[in-house]
Amino acid sequence: MTISQIIFLVVAGFTLASALMVVTTRNLIHAALFLVATLFGVAVVYAILQAGFLAVVQVVIYIGAIAILFIFAVMLTRRDMRDRGPQMNRMQWIGALLALLIFIGLSFLLSSWDGYSAVAQEMPADFDTMGRLGEALVSPDAYLLPFEVASVLLLAALVGAVYVAYTRR
Amino acid sequence: MMSFSDFTTILPLVVLTAWACVLLLVDLLIPRNRKGITALFSALGLALTLGLTIAQLGRQGSGFNDMVVLDGFSVFVNALLLVSGLLGVALAYGYVKRMGLERGEYYTLLLFSVAGMMLMAQAADLIVVFLALELLSIPLYILAAFARPKVESEEAGLKYFLLGAFSAGFVVYGIALVYGATGTTALSGIVAAIPSSSTLMLTIGAALILVGLGFKIAAVPFHMWTPDVYQGAPSAVTAFMAAGAKVAGFSALLRIFATAFPSLGSSMSDVLWALAALTMIVGNLIAISQSDIKRLLAYSSIAHAGYILMAFVPFGNPDVRAVSVAAGLFYLVSYAITNFGAWGVVIALEKAEGRGLALDDYAGLGRKYPALAAAMTIFMLSLIGLPPTLGLVGKFYLFRAVIAGGYVGLAVIGVLTSLISAYYYLRVVVIMYMREGEPTTTSEPYLNMTTAFAALVTVIVSLVPAPLFAWASSAVLKLF
Amino acid sequence: MNNEWLFVAFFIVIGALVPIAAISVAWLVSPKKSNPIKQSTYECGIETVGESWVQFKAQYYIFALVFLVFDVETVFLFPWAVKIGQLGLFAVVEGIIFIGILIAGLVYTWRKGMLEWS
Repeated sequence: MTISQIIFLVVAGFTLASALMVVTTRNLIHAALFLVATLFGVAVVYAILQAGFLAVVQVVIYIGAIAILFIFAVMLTRRDMRDRGPQMNRMQWIGALLALLIFIGLSFLLSSWDGYSAVAQEMPADFDTMGRLGEALVSPDAYLLPFEVASVLLLAALVGAVYVAYTRR
Repeated sequence: MMSFSDFTTILPLVVLTAWACVLLLVDLLIPRNRKGITALFSALGLALTLGLTIAQLGRQGSGFNDMVVLDGFSVFVNALLLVSGLLGVALAYGYVKRMGLERGEYYTLLLFSVAGMMLMAQAADLIVVFLALELLSIPLYILAAFARPKVESEEAGLKYFLLGAFSAGFVVYGIALVYGATGTTALSGIVAAIPSSSTLMLTIGAALILVGLGFKIAAVPFHMWTPDVYQGAPSAVTAFMAAGAKVAGFSALLRIFATAFPSLGSSMSDVLWALAALTMIVGNLIAISQSDIKRLLAYSSIAHAGYILMAFVPFGNPDVRAVSVAAGLFYLVSYAITNFGAWGVVIALEKAEGRGLALDDYAGLGRKYPALAAAMTIFMLSLIGLPPTLGLVGKFYLFRAVIAGGYVGLAVIGVLTSLISAYYYLRVVVIMYMREGEPTTTSEPYLNMTTAFAALVTVIVSLVPAPLFAWASSAVLKLF
Repeated sequence: MNNEWLFVAFFIVIGALVPIAAISVAWLVSPKKSNPIKQSTYECGIETVGESWVQFKAQYYIFALVFLVFDVETVFLFPWAVKIGQLGLFAVVEGIIFIGILIAGLVYTWRKGMLEWS
């Protein structure tokens, strides 16, 4: 077992454990903080895969903005942070069974894929990920159109969010 | 370097998007009680874009390294979407004023949504499909919740948003699996890579995309959100949503499956067969017990998604694909026009606080407002598929294409469910003419124009359907 | 292996250890003689009233929402900005269009009075 495998296992365990805590903890703020931990774990996985830009994006967007938005939303809407209702309902065993089946199915699907056993190639040290991405985003032969559409999409989302959240007349 | 032809393939889309962005800013200068000006500007933008789209007739091409295509299919669908947008604005013009919802954002969001739908019709890359899906959906979520803080509208917006986001997740997962199997997201690349890729993964990816888009077009069993959202959203929004989102969803499904996955025809056709049959049966059966006109039309819209899905079943069979795509497009036109007309009548009878929406409120309409009742009768006949309406012609072409594809059983289910649907559609007619009542309606010029336009098109095009069907038949998909 | 990230991991470990060490040392060496005044939130200040879990002002949320949109914009623009020197005029124009569309959103929010604290 190599060092990177050990690091991956530790990070994966940490991510899964905090993801489990997100859904089991009763305090909504704690759930949001565990979510931050989960998202951070995912960022580390990106870093292990040498996707440095994605790792930074994961931290900047998901932890820096979305998780904060979650925490704000919880603080805005709930006076009482503790959820006292039951955490399970009658369908819990069916749900668990379904989740297990989907997990087995997906594992089977991915293990049948020829890329599953492939070993990732180490990227050359001078590989300019960010530069390549920057070029691809504005090149008409690559992702120019999605790039501009993303901007329009953000604008539409902004207008919508402002309309929905706006209370003053 | 970008060539000019890249740009001209999506020229109408660019114009509409730029128009929407500018309108967003212009709207800030328009005083609060004069938002009708924004509506007129948005209609102007849609009309201009419609002109540019029509000017693209007969042109073929692709742009941005096969990210978008321009073909007869996209021109046809875009023209239909723009007409839907125009009718949506016309229905909303008086309605939002009357309901106290008049905000400039309504029209800008509607334009953004139409832009997303048009992009969806032209998308030839799964990334663009996903972006278009979001661009058309996000404004629709907001529009569904536009009547906030009315609880029903907020519920509609939230429900639509949650299930829409959930279904978008399916689409993304499907795209990821397709990418995993083929190593590309471009439809042209997928076609080329299919012979050497894992069929299992590709099939599951395609199925997940189907599930995700199935939510958008409200196919059973992904229809759960439809009645609540259609009922809670402001009626003018529902009218636009029912037509626009369906047209866009179907065009994306048709393009993805017919151009990229024809090799999956043998395995996916059975699934689509079941989906279409289930959608027709469930939609029509549940509609029988509805007593609210908005819910009734919501289930009717589910049922019609089933009919349109029929056109889709033989997608892997190159012999009948052209005729079934043409029949599907024709049926989309017939459904969209009829749908706008029926919602126009609903809006004419709807009053503040959600009154005037029960079927009983239609009692006596035939005696007091004969023109409106006649129009509603035409729309109901068209939704059933009886003469002299567009619905009949649409169903005729559709069933013919399905039988040509060798799916006689499905056509029989279609005919039987149409018979079932006659029960609840005709009940509306019976209530209008046979029952005594004192209905009150609102008469607004643009609303009346929309209803009259829809009624006239429904009748006249049914008498001379050949030109429209010829156009639909020439609207072929560009294959890679 | 990912040497660049080892530094980051190193900093994270140190960043976590320092406060843990400080708190543990304080916990180990401090005398533990508790009384009610020491247990209160502010030992020498005003008595606290009510719970510390209070509802936030809605305005924070709207700011966070607007921030999120521009945060995502930054992510898209960052790789573009890194490469801007080599990309040529055309790419610069594209970036400006991208920013321009979002500036429309900023103007909209501003004119709607969303950026004012009230």
